[in-house]
Amino acid sequence: MVPGVRAQPTLSTLSSKFDRSAPWVLLGPAVVLLVFLTVFPFIYSLWLSFNEWNLADRTATWTFVGLKNYITILTNDPFFTSAVKATFIFLAGAVTFEMILGVAIALLLSREFRGQGLVRPIVMLPLMTTPVAVGLIWRFMYNPDRGMVNYLLSLIGITGPDWLGRPQTAMPAVIFADIWEWTPFVALIVLAALQALPSEPYEAALIDGASSWQVFRYITVPLILPALLVAFLIRLMDAFKTFDLIYVLTLGGPGVTTQTMSLYTYKYGFKFFKMGYASALAYIMVFIMIVVANVFIFVTRREKR
Amino acid sequence: MTRRQRQKIIRAILIILVAVFFIFPIIMIFLTSIKTRVDALAVPPVWIFKPTLENYMGIFQLYDFSQYFLNSTIAAIASTVVAVVLGAPAAYVLARYNFRAKSNLAFWILSLRMTPAIAAIIPLFILLRTFRLLDTLEGLILVYSTFNLPFMIWMMRGFFEDLPIELEESAMVDGCSRYGAFLRIALVLASPGLAAAAIFTFLFTWNEFLFALILTGTRARTMPVAVQLFMRETGIDWGHMCAAAVVMMIPMLVFTMFIQKYLVRGLTLGAIKG
Repeated sequence: MVPGVRAQPTLSTLSSKFDRSAPWVLLGPAVVLLVFLTVFPFIYSLWLSFNEWNLADRTATWTFVGLKNYITILTNDPFFTSAVKATFIFLAGAVTFEMILGVAIALLLSREFRGQGLVRPIVMLPLMTTPVAVGLIWRFMYNPDRGMVNYLLSLIGITGPDWLGRPQTAMPAVIFADIWEWTPFVALIVLAALQALPSEPYEAALIDGASSWQVFRYITVPLILPALLVAFLIRLMDAFKTFDLIYVLTLGGPGVTTQTMSLYTYKYGFKFFKMGYASALAYIMVFIMIVVANVFIFVTRREKR
Repeated sequence: MTRRQRQKIIRAILIILVAVFFIFPIIMIFLTSIKTRVDALAVPPVWIFKPTLENYMGIFQLYDFSQYFLNSTIAAIASTVVAVVLGAPAAYVLARYNFRAKSNLAFWILSLRMTPAIAAIIPLFILLRTFRLLDTLEGLILVYSTFNLPFMIWMMRGFFEDLPIELEESAMVDGCSRYGAFLRIALVLASPGLAAAAIFTFLFTWNEFLFALILTGTRARTMPVAVQLFMRETGIDWGHMCAAAVVMMIPMLVFTMFIQKYLVRGLTLGAIKG
């Protein structure tokens, strides 16, 4: 880590009182704003999660219920269970394929080739597109009668189903759209790592006559492991939070097959307006994120040495 | 054909497939946006058709799209300005000073970036409601700083840490104040990074959906929310919807070139200096 300069400038002849104010003036406003926008509201909503409050009912007030919300969620809420299941399926499907395909694409693009200045921006496109637009694009593509997916399938003689309408195909369809959107993320990260690799190990391996697979397994993989971990953890966290895509594609349907925890929490808070219950749901999500975020911090700070 | 040549050809084919896979949906949207209603709905799809701008004109005339476009633009620019003005100095302090609470503070700031939006939205909704800031751009911009500021701080901290400290030290030896060292040296030298971070912030805000969905009604509505409304009304208006989607994608297309260099860094919160 770059060492920080001590707060007292050592040789300045200016009024040191003026300079001593610098850290406060420079850091202060940001911290104050963030505290106001986060600490107070979060404490408020933590307290709210121990109450019941129906926002839609004009006469309703807060009713203290202790841990009842949490207990109900964790033991007595079949929709919560299905939401956890849906989230898990989404994470497993999306992140796995994004990692594998991302690495594959990165390897593909890592050697120089003609037109690479064009291909890299193209690969970046899904990443940069507004997630809502991605949802709309795929909603369009998945349209059973007019969408491109079924049209292309019909060219090889397959009649495509109503992807987003049937319970068995909805989640895979959503996962596939997510893969389209986020594989480039993994690919670009791994590509950056690949391009930063030293050449000596590869030269030595060449001299020793190692096969491509051996080179990949024993040299490349260990060297890009940090990048893989970062990509994996970030994708895991972001996929967990996914809302825009699923909202636009299916709104959690059909039924609750694609209703992940994000959507479930949204429903409770802004469709049913049961703010206490929704707050409890939200806190459970936060807790899960904290665990994963700690892993992320640990891994990346360790690598920054 | 030698093995090498065969490999090269396979590689080339795969690369082309990958490129097509990623660009195809976007091209579809663009093509549909310039088709007439009849052409857009035709099955099998028409590839040769007479292009028209009626969808683009339609979204501005039939719907309030220009209002939404304006809202998005104002929100994105203002959020970026707030993030830069408050975040860059804060990042400088984190980069150049050591104090006891520092790593906790840094972690807290990072954790804000990682919070699921849905978790943050509930208290923020109530907060805005209390201050009568719902459905206002001011409220939205305020709320956007909860994740824009941490992002900016985290990114700029990395950029400032990368600068050699000797320049600022020698400036202060010559009588420059800390503020001067920050404004005239660090900020100037880190300006490419700052520009990239600002562009990221702009794009995040421009694309943001959940907060806008919940915290705005009709007056402060931004484009992502407006666009998905095209679907909710009777039937889906594909032509208009695609035109709206294309309009929404414009900043991204413009800025992609500029931030290519910093993309990996921005996406991984500085964990990887692509």
